Amino acid sequence: MIVSTIPIFSQLEDVMKHVLNFFHSNIGLPWAWSIVATTIVVRVILVPLTIRQIHSMQALQKHAPQMKEIQKKYKQDRQKQNEELMKFYRENNINPAASCLPMLLQLPVFIALYYTLKHFQTNFHVGKHTDLSFLHFIPSIQAHTTTHWGGYVLLVVYVASQMASSFFMMTTTDKMQRTLFMVMPLFFVFIIARFPAGLVLYWVTTNLWTVGQGLITRRLVAKTPAPALERRSSRTPPKDDGSSGNGAKSEAPSPKPAPSASQRPRQVRRKKKRTSRR
Amino acid sequence: MSAVTRVPSLLGVGLVWLWRLTVGALFPTTCKYHPSCSEYAVQSLRRHGLVKGSALAGWRLLRCNPWSRGGFDPVR
Repeated sequence: MIVSTIPIFSQLEDVMKHVLNFFHSNIGLPWAWSIVATTIVVRVILVPLTIRQIHSMQALQKHAPQMKEIQKKYKQDRQKQNEELMKFYRENNINPAASCLPMLLQLPVFIALYYTLKHFQTNFHVGKHTDLSFLHFIPSIQAHTTTHWGGYVLLVVYVASQMASSFFMMTTTDKMQRTLFMVMPLFFVFIIARFPAGLVLYWVTTNLWTVGQGLITRRLVAKTPAPALERRSSRTPPKDDGSSGNGAKSEAPSPKPAPSASQRPRQVRRKKKRTSRR
Repeated sequence: MSAVTRVPSLLGVGLVWLWRLTVGALFPTTCKYHPSCSEYAVQSLRRHGLVKGSALAGWRLLRCNPWSRGGFDPVR
């Protein structure tokens, strides 16, 4: 393809080659697991973004009633509704989680992996008998996904994981859009079936990471009015020695035993601090 | 804009649509700006031509990061 001759793409391929080779040769992972490891590294690099996301989700949740009101008020005029919502974000210092740049940044990784897999034999000088399988059901990460029944299993896992990750990543409350995003993977499966299995593996891994991340963030957002998470955990231990006997879970449920008298003033203080900071 | 300058910018608009229909559709993230980055790109390409239009769109993409505020930001 012409695209692979563009210098930036061949450079991307070079970087990916080195990363995969590092996991395979230096750490000793099989090729398929090197892809999984690379995916995890990419997602770990993106963790700071996740933290921002948690904060913005908390802010959004706090202001949800007012935002619903704005949506109701400008129900007829979508454009106006969006503008007003944006204005509201700005006035209340809310930073919506979604932004285009991180999404765009994942694209080069994907392209690099595509070309690396495509030129796998020449890239890594591997023979015909090299083990490129994954978990005994994908015979080769380099072959098209649909060349073996295992590929179809992988595609099913892809659809499920993509739907689940869409569910967690969704920032829109629009019903139409939500359904669209949930149905989308069913159509994309036809395009993705033409990709090498390793690429689908990347996709599945990154989706599963998103789901895990989503589960954790939801938990954090639902349970705590968060900015004082660490502070609370350091203060609570002396109080709940009588009420809770579960030592192993002591970190997570710690807010529960002392809900009434001691927490209320603390929350107020926290709120004040927040407003003065901003 | 004259017909001659419009052709390359339409090429850019086509590319944005290609992105929208392929990769963009895969990620259910909505932009923090209004109009969204891709809509902004289309508008700026139409208004300012290929060179300035894509430069403006690129600058907007750089601004659309988790540390920026977002908000109403039309093409000027």
